[in-house]
Amino acid sequence: MTEQAENGAPQPADAPEESARVWFWRGAKAGRLSVQGIVLFAGFIGFGGLIRDIGFPLGAALLSTVIVWALPAQLLIVGGFAAGSPAPVIALAVGLSSVRFFPIVASIMPMIRGRSGLGTQLFASHFVAVSAWVESIRLVPPLPAYARMPFFLGLSNYFLWGSVATTVVGYLLAGTLPQALANGLVFLTPISFLLQLVRNARDLVDRSALVFGLGLTPVVAQFGGSLDLLWIGAIAGGAAYAVGRWQRART
Amino acid sequence: MSLTDPMLYAYLLVLVAGFLPTDVFRFAAVLFSRRLDEDSEVLILVRAIATALLAGVIARLVLFPTGDLAGVPLWIRLASIAAGVAGYFLIRRSVLAGVIVGEIVIVGGAVLFR
Repeated sequence: MTEQAENGAPQPADAPEESARVWFWRGAKAGRLSVQGIVLFAGFIGFGGLIRDIGFPLGAALLSTVIVWALPAQLLIVGGFAAGSPAPVIALAVGLSSVRFFPIVASIMPMIRGRSGLGTQLFASHFVAVSAWVESIRLVPPLPAYARMPFFLGLSNYFLWGSVATTVVGYLLAGTLPQALANGLVFLTPISFLLQLVRNARDLVDRSALVFGLGLTPVVAQFGGSLDLLWIGAIAGGAAYAVGRWQRART
Repeated sequence: MSLTDPMLYAYLLVLVAGFLPTDVFRFAAVLFSRRLDEDSEVLILVRAIATALLAGVIARLVLFPTGDLAGVPLWIRLASIAAGVAGYFLIRRSVLAGVIVGEIVIVGGAVLFR
Protein backbone atom coordinates (compact mmCIF):
# COMPACT_ATOMS: atom_id res chain seq x y z
CA MET A 1 0.00 0.00 0.00
CA THR A 2 2.99 2.31 0.10
CA GLU A 3 2.61 2.89 -3.62
CA GLN A 4 -0.89 4.07 -3.02
CA ALA A 5 0.27 6.85 -0.71
CA GLU A 6 3.09 7.75 -3.05
CA ASN A 7 1.20 7.91 -6.31
CA GLY A 8 -2.32 8.34 -5.24
CA ALA A 9 -2.28 11.16 -2.72
CA PRO A 10 -5.49 13.08 -3.48
CA GLN A 11 -4.68 16.67 -4.21
CA PRO A 12 -6.44 19.71 -2.81
CA ALA A 13 -8.80 21.19 -5.40
CA ASP A 14 -6.72 24.34 -5.81
CA ALA A 15 -3.35 22.57 -6.16
CA PRO A 16 -1.51 23.48 -9.37
CA GLU A 17 -1.71 20.72 -12.02
CA GLU A 18 1.46 18.79 -12.60
CA SER A 19 2.38 17.99 -16.16
CA ALA A 20 1.27 14.84 -17.96
CA ARG A 21 4.92 13.84 -18.22
CA VAL A 22 5.27 13.81 -14.44
CA TRP A 23 2.24 11.52 -14.13
CA PHE A 24 3.47 9.27 -16.94
CA TRP A 25 6.69 8.61 -15.05
CA ARG A 26 4.81 8.09 -11.79
CA GLY A 27 2.79 5.42 -13.60
CA ALA A 28 5.96 3.76 -14.87
CA LYS A 29 7.42 3.83 -11.36
CA ALA A 30 4.29 2.19 -9.95
CA GLY A 31 4.80 -0.60 -12.50
CA ARG A 32 8.33 -1.15 -11.26
CA LEU A 33 7.05 -1.80 -7.75
CA SER A 34 4.35 -4.22 -8.87
CA VAL A 35 4.35 -7.97 -8.13
CA GLN A 36 1.99 -8.35 -11.10
CA GLY A 37 4.85 -7.07 -13.25
CA ILE A 38 7.22 -9.77 -11.98
CA VAL A 39 4.80 -12.58 -12.90
CA LEU A 40 4.18 -10.88 -16.26
CA PHE A 41 7.89 -10.65 -17.09
CA ALA A 42 8.49 -14.26 -16.00
CA GLY A 43 5.80 -15.24 -18.50
CA PHE A 44 7.53 -13.33 -21.32
CA ILE A 45 10.93 -14.81 -20.46
CA GLY A 46 9.25 -18.19 -20.92
CA PHE A 47 7.66 -16.98 -24.17
CA GLY A 48 11.10 -15.97 -25.45
CA GLY A 49 12.45 -19.42 -24.63
CA LEU A 50 9.44 -21.12 -26.21
CA ILE A 51 9.67 -19.33 -29.56
CA ARG A 52 13.33 -20.25 -29.87
CA ASP A 53 12.49 -23.89 -29.18
CA ILE A 54 9.66 -23.85 -31.73
CA GLY A 55 11.62 -21.94 -34.37
CA PHE A 56 9.35 -18.88 -34.48
CA PRO A 57 11.31 -15.78 -35.61
CA LEU A 58 12.27 -13.42 -32.76
CA GLY A 59 11.30 -10.30 -34.73
CA ALA A 60 7.76 -11.58 -35.31
CA ALA A 61 7.48 -12.55 -31.63
CA LEU A 62 8.58 -9.05 -30.52
CA LEU A 63 6.16 -7.51 -33.01
CA SER A 64 3.40 -9.65 -31.48
CA THR A 65 4.24 -8.36 -28.00
CA VAL A 66 3.93 -4.76 -29.24
CA ILE A 67 0.90 -4.99 -31.54
CA VAL A 68 -1.07 -7.90 -30.05
CA TRP A 69 -0.11 -7.38 -26.39
CA ALA A 70 -1.95 -10.37 -25.04
CA LEU A 71 0.15 -13.38 -24.08
CA PRO A 72 -2.69 -15.93 -24.46
CA ALA A 73 -3.33 -14.70 -28.01
CA GLN A 74 0.41 -14.74 -28.75
CA LEU A 75 0.58 -18.29 -27.46
CA LEU A 76 -2.25 -19.30 -29.80
CA ILE A 77 -0.35 -17.77 -32.74
CA VAL A 78 2.94 -19.45 -31.89
CA GLY A 79 1.30 -22.76 -30.96
CA GLY A 80 -0.77 -22.70 -34.14
CA PHE A 81 2.34 -21.91 -36.18
CA ALA A 82 4.15 -24.88 -34.62
CA ALA A 83 1.22 -27.25 -35.19
CA GLY A 84 0.70 -26.03 -38.76
CA SER A 85 -2.88 -24.85 -38.13
CA PRO A 86 -4.36 -22.81 -41.02
CA ALA A 87 -4.23 -19.03 -40.50
CA PRO A 88 -8.05 -18.54 -40.42
CA VAL A 89 -8.31 -21.13 -37.63
CA ILE A 90 -5.61 -19.31 -35.65
CA ALA A 91 -7.34 -15.96 -36.24
CA LEU A 92 -10.65 -17.38 -35.02
CA ALA A 93 -9.01 -18.86 -31.92
CA VAL A 94 -7.25 -15.54 -31.20
CA GLY A 95 -10.51 -13.63 -31.69
CA LEU A 96 -12.33 -15.90 -29.27
CA SER A 97 -9.59 -15.51 -26.68
CA SER A 98 -9.56 -11.72 -27.13
CA VAL A 99 -13.29 -11.17 -26.75
CA ARG A 100 -12.51 -10.90 -23.05
CA PHE A 101 -10.92 -7.50 -23.75
CA PHE A 102 -14.34 -6.12 -24.53
CA PRO A 103 -15.63 -6.14 -20.94
CA ILE A 104 -12.13 -5.42 -19.59
CA VAL A 105 -11.65 -2.29 -21.71
CA ALA A 106 -15.27 -1.22 -21.33
CA SER A 107 -14.95 -1.40 -17.55
CA ILE A 108 -11.65 0.43 -17.22
CA MET A 109 -12.04 3.17 -19.84
CA PRO A 110 -14.56 5.25 -17.87
CA MET A 111 -12.09 5.12 -14.97
CA ILE A 112 -8.96 6.24 -16.83
CA ARG A 113 -10.25 8.49 -19.60
CA GLY A 114 -10.27 11.68 -17.49
CA ARG A 115 -10.37 14.57 -19.97
CA SER A 116 -8.92 12.71 -22.95
CA GLY A 117 -10.58 12.61 -26.35
CA LEU A 118 -11.75 9.63 -28.39
CA GLY A 119 -8.47 9.32 -30.31
CA THR A 120 -6.44 9.12 -27.12
CA GLN A 121 -8.86 6.58 -25.70
CA LEU A 122 -8.62 4.34 -28.76
CA PHE A 123 -4.83 4.59 -28.55
CA ALA A 124 -4.86 3.85 -24.83
CA SER A 125 -7.18 0.86 -25.24
CA HIS A 126 -4.42 -1.00 -27.08
CA PHE A 127 -2.35 -0.95 -23.88
CA VAL A 128 -5.09 -2.52 -21.79
CA ALA A 129 -4.18 -6.08 -20.84
CA VAL A 130 -4.93 -8.07 -17.74
CA SER A 131 -1.78 -6.92 -15.90
CA ALA A 132 -2.33 -3.19 -16.42
CA TRP A 133 -6.03 -3.64 -15.73
CA VAL A 134 -5.44 -5.28 -12.34
CA GLU A 135 -2.94 -2.63 -11.25
CA SER A 136 -4.95 0.32 -12.57
CA ILE A 137 -8.07 -0.69 -10.70
CA ARG A 138 -5.96 -0.61 -7.55
CA LEU A 139 -3.97 2.57 -8.18
CA VAL A 140 -6.00 4.91 -10.41
CA PRO A 141 -9.18 5.70 -8.42
CA PRO A 142 -7.55 8.11 -5.92
CA LEU A 143 -5.88 10.16 -8.69
CA PRO A 144 -7.24 13.50 -9.94
CA ALA A 145 -9.02 13.17 -13.31
CA TYR A 146 -6.34 14.95 -15.39
CA ALA A 147 -3.62 12.64 -14.06
CA ARG A 148 -5.30 9.31 -14.81
CA MET A 149 -4.64 8.87 -18.52
CA PRO A 150 -0.92 9.76 -18.36
CA PHE A 151 -0.51 7.60 -15.24
CA PHE A 152 -2.17 4.64 -16.98
CA LEU A 153 -0.05 5.10 -20.11
CA GLY A 154 3.13 5.22 -18.01
CA LEU A 155 2.19 2.07 -16.13
CA SER A 156 1.06 0.07 -19.16
CA ASN A 157 3.99 1.18 -21.33
CA TYR A 158 6.38 0.07 -18.62
CA PHE A 159 4.70 -3.35 -18.68
CA LEU A 160 4.69 -3.56 -22.49
CA TRP A 161 8.29 -2.50 -23.15
CA GLY A 162 9.51 -4.50 -20.15
CA SER A 163 7.82 -7.51 -21.77
CA VAL A 164 9.58 -6.81 -25.08
CA ALA A 165 12.90 -6.74 -23.24
CA THR A 166 12.20 -9.93 -21.28
CA THR A 167 11.11 -11.75 -24.46
CA VAL A 168 14.60 -11.02 -25.83
CA VAL A 169 16.19 -12.11 -22.54
CA GLY A 170 14.31 -15.43 -22.67
CA TYR A 171 15.27 -15.95 -26.31
CA LEU A 172 18.96 -15.28 -25.63
CA LEU A 173 18.97 -17.37 -22.45
CA ALA A 174 17.51 -20.34 -24.32
CA GLY A 175 20.58 -20.31 -26.57
CA THR A 176 23.17 -20.20 -23.80
CA LEU A 177 21.71 -22.18 -20.91
CA PRO A 178 22.62 -25.81 -20.23
CA GLN A 179 20.06 -28.13 -21.81
CA ALA A 180 18.10 -28.94 -18.62
CA LEU A 181 17.69 -25.26 -17.71
CA ALA A 182 16.67 -24.44 -21.27
CA ASN A 183 13.98 -27.14 -21.00
CA GLY A 184 12.83 -25.51 -17.76
CA LEU A 185 12.69 -22.13 -19.50
CA VAL A 186 10.46 -23.49 -22.26
CA PHE A 187 8.27 -25.14 -19.65
CA LEU A 188 7.69 -21.78 -17.89
CA THR A 189 4.97 -20.97 -20.42
CA PRO A 190 2.64 -23.95 -19.97
CA ILE A 191 3.07 -24.12 -16.21
CA SER A 192 2.62 -20.41 -15.49
CA PHE A 193 -0.37 -20.24 -17.84
CA LEU A 194 -2.01 -23.28 -16.37
CA LEU A 195 -1.65 -21.91 -12.83
CA GLN A 196 -2.99 -18.51 -13.88
CA LEU A 197 -5.98 -20.23 -15.47
CA VAL A 198 -6.49 -22.18 -12.24
CA ARG A 199 -6.29 -18.95 -10.22
CA ASN A 200 -8.61 -17.03 -12.54
CA ALA A 201 -11.22 -19.80 -12.71
CA ARG A 202 -14.04 -18.03 -10.93
CA ASP A 203 -16.86 -20.52 -11.19
CA LEU A 204 -17.91 -24.00 -12.24
CA VAL A 205 -18.01 -23.02 -15.94
CA ASP A 206 -14.38 -21.82 -15.89
CA ARG A 207 -13.16 -24.86 -13.99
CA SER A 208 -15.06 -27.29 -16.24
CA ALA A 209 -13.73 -25.58 -19.39
CA LEU A 210 -10.19 -25.89 -18.03
CA VAL A 211 -10.49 -29.58 -17.11
CA PHE A 212 -12.40 -30.57 -20.28
CA GLY A 213 -9.96 -28.65 -22.48
CA LEU A 214 -6.93 -30.34 -20.92
CA GLY A 215 -8.55 -33.80 -20.96
CA LEU A 216 -9.88 -33.61 -24.50
CA THR A 217 -6.56 -32.61 -26.07
CA PRO A 218 -4.94 -36.10 -26.14
CA VAL A 219 -8.26 -37.60 -27.34
CA VAL A 220 -8.68 -35.14 -30.21
CA ALA A 221 -4.99 -35.54 -31.10
CA GLN A 222 -5.69 -39.23 -31.89
CA PHE A 223 -7.75 -38.09 -34.86
CA GLY A 224 -5.22 -35.50 -35.97
CA GLY A 225 -6.26 -32.84 -38.42
CA SER A 226 -5.51 -29.15 -38.47
CA LEU A 227 -8.83 -28.14 -36.93
CA ASP A 228 -8.27 -29.97 -33.63
CA LEU A 229 -7.93 -26.71 -31.67
CA LEU A 230 -11.40 -25.65 -32.77
CA TRP A 231 -12.86 -29.02 -31.82
CA ILE A 232 -11.38 -28.66 -28.36
CA GLY A 233 -12.81 -25.15 -27.99
CA ALA A 234 -16.26 -26.07 -29.28
CA ILE A 235 -16.68 -29.40 -27.47
CA ALA A 236 -14.94 -28.63 -24.17
CA GLY A 237 -16.20 -25.02 -24.03
CA GLY A 238 -19.72 -26.02 -25.00
CA ALA A 239 -19.79 -28.82 -22.44
CA ALA A 240 -18.55 -26.46 -19.71
CA TYR A 241 -21.28 -23.98 -20.61
CA ALA A 242 -23.86 -26.80 -20.45
CA VAL A 243 -22.57 -27.81 -17.00
CA GLY A 244 -23.04 -24.21 -15.87
CA ARG A 245 -26.60 -24.09 -17.17
CA TRP A 246 -27.38 -27.41 -15.51
CA GLN A 247 -26.01 -26.09 -12.20
CA ARG A 248 -28.08 -22.88 -12.46
CA ALA A 249 -31.20 -24.87 -13.31
CA ARG A 250 -30.79 -26.91 -10.14
CA THR A 251 -30.43 -23.92 -7.82
CA MET B 1 10.73 -14.05 -50.08
CA SER B 2 7.41 -15.60 -50.99
CA LEU B 3 4.26 -15.98 -48.93
CA THR B 4 5.16 -19.58 -48.29
CA ASP B 5 8.40 -18.55 -46.61
CA PRO B 6 7.82 -19.65 -43.02
CA MET B 7 9.58 -16.57 -41.58
CA LEU B 8 7.53 -14.07 -43.57
CA TYR B 9 4.44 -16.14 -42.85
CA ALA B 10 5.09 -15.71 -39.09
CA TYR B 11 5.00 -11.90 -39.45
CA LEU B 12 1.79 -12.04 -41.49
CA LEU B 13 0.27 -14.34 -38.89
CA VAL B 14 1.05 -11.85 -36.13
CA LEU B 15 -0.51 -9.03 -38.12
CA VAL B 16 -3.61 -10.68 -39.57
CA ALA B 17 -4.36 -13.49 -37.10
CA GLY B 18 -3.05 -11.63 -34.02
CA PHE B 19 -3.37 -7.87 -34.13
CA LEU B 20 -6.67 -7.60 -36.03
CA PRO B 21 -8.79 -10.08 -34.06
CA THR B 22 -7.45 -8.71 -30.76
CA ASP B 23 -7.60 -4.94 -31.14
CA VAL B 24 -10.99 -5.02 -32.85
CA PHE B 25 -12.43 -5.89 -29.42
CA ARG B 26 -10.39 -3.24 -27.63
CA PHE B 27 -11.53 -0.55 -30.07
CA ALA B 28 -15.13 -1.77 -30.06
CA ALA B 29 -15.16 -1.57 -26.27
CA VAL B 30 -14.09 2.09 -26.36
CA LEU B 31 -16.77 2.93 -28.93
CA PHE B 32 -19.50 1.12 -26.99
CA SER B 33 -18.08 1.67 -23.54
CA ARG B 34 -21.41 1.78 -21.82
CA ARG B 35 -21.72 -0.86 -19.16
CA LEU B 36 -21.65 -4.36 -20.53
CA ASP B 37 -23.24 -7.15 -18.56
CA GLU B 38 -20.39 -9.51 -17.80
CA ASP B 39 -22.85 -12.28 -16.95
CA SER B 40 -24.76 -12.27 -20.24
CA GLU B 41 -25.27 -15.76 -21.72
CA VAL B 42 -23.16 -15.07 -24.81
CA LEU B 43 -20.18 -13.89 -22.78
CA ILE B 44 -20.37 -16.92 -20.48
CA LEU B 45 -20.23 -19.23 -23.53
CA VAL B 46 -17.43 -17.24 -25.17
CA ARG B 47 -15.39 -17.27 -21.99
CA ALA B 48 -15.85 -21.04 -21.66
CA ILE B 49 -14.69 -21.60 -25.26
CA ALA B 50 -11.71 -19.27 -24.79
CA THR B 51 -10.68 -21.03 -21.58
CA ALA B 52 -10.97 -24.45 -23.25
CA LEU B 53 -8.91 -23.25 -26.25
CA LEU B 54 -6.14 -22.01 -24.01
CA ALA B 55 -6.24 -25.21 -21.96
CA GLY B 56 -5.88 -27.11 -25.25
CA VAL B 57 -2.82 -25.09 -26.24
CA ILE B 58 -1.23 -25.68 -22.83
CA ALA B 59 -1.94 -29.41 -22.98
CA ARG B 60 -0.42 -29.59 -26.46
CA LEU B 61 2.76 -27.82 -25.30
CA VAL B 62 3.09 -30.38 -22.50
CA LEU B 63 2.03 -33.54 -24.35
CA PHE B 64 3.37 -32.88 -27.85
CA PRO B 65 6.30 -30.43 -27.61
CA THR B 66 7.98 -29.70 -30.92
CA GLY B 67 11.45 -28.56 -29.90
CA ASP B 68 14.17 -29.78 -27.58
CA LEU B 69 11.62 -30.27 -24.80
CA ALA B 70 10.46 -33.41 -26.61
CA GLY B 71 13.65 -35.07 -25.32
CA VAL B 72 12.38 -34.85 -21.73
CA PRO B 73 10.32 -38.01 -20.97
CA LEU B 74 6.55 -37.50 -20.90
CA TRP B 75 6.21 -38.70 -17.31
CA ILE B 76 8.60 -35.99 -16.11
CA ARG B 77 6.60 -33.32 -17.94
CA LEU B 78 3.40 -34.61 -16.35
CA ALA B 79 5.05 -34.87 -12.91
CA SER B 80 6.19 -31.24 -13.22
CA ILE B 81 2.64 -30.09 -14.01
CA ALA B 82 1.23 -32.12 -11.11
CA ALA B 83 3.88 -30.75 -8.73
CA GLY B 84 3.23 -27.19 -9.90
CA VAL B 85 -0.52 -27.50 -9.31
CA ALA B 86 0.07 -29.12 -5.91
CA GLY B 87 2.57 -26.39 -5.00
CA TYR B 88 0.07 -23.72 -5.99
CA PHE B 89 -2.66 -25.13 -3.74
CA LEU B 90 -0.37 -25.98 -0.81
CA ILE B 91 1.63 -22.72 -0.78
CA ARG B 92 -0.99 -20.00 -0.22
CA ARG B 93 -2.42 -20.32 -3.75
CA SER B 94 0.61 -18.48 -5.08
CA VAL B 95 1.20 -18.75 -8.85
CA LEU B 96 4.87 -17.88 -8.35
CA ALA B 97 5.31 -20.66 -5.76
CA GLY B 98 3.60 -23.23 -8.00
CA VAL B 99 5.76 -22.23 -10.96
CA ILE B 100 8.94 -22.59 -8.89
CA VAL B 101 7.94 -26.07 -7.64
CA GLY B 102 7.06 -27.23 -11.17
CA GLU B 103 10.32 -25.80 -12.53
CA ILE B 104 12.38 -27.64 -9.91
CA VAL B 105 10.77 -30.93 -10.99
CA ILE B 106 11.20 -30.37 -14.75
CA VAL B 107 14.81 -29.16 -14.51
CA GLY B 108 15.74 -31.84 -11.96
CA GLY B 109 14.03 -34.49 -14.07
CA ALA B 110 15.81 -33.30 -17.22
CA VAL B 111 19.18 -33.48 -15.44
CA LEU B 112 18.56 -36.99 -14.09
CA PHE B 113 16.53 -38.77 -16.75
CA ARG B 114 17.08 -37.38 -20.23
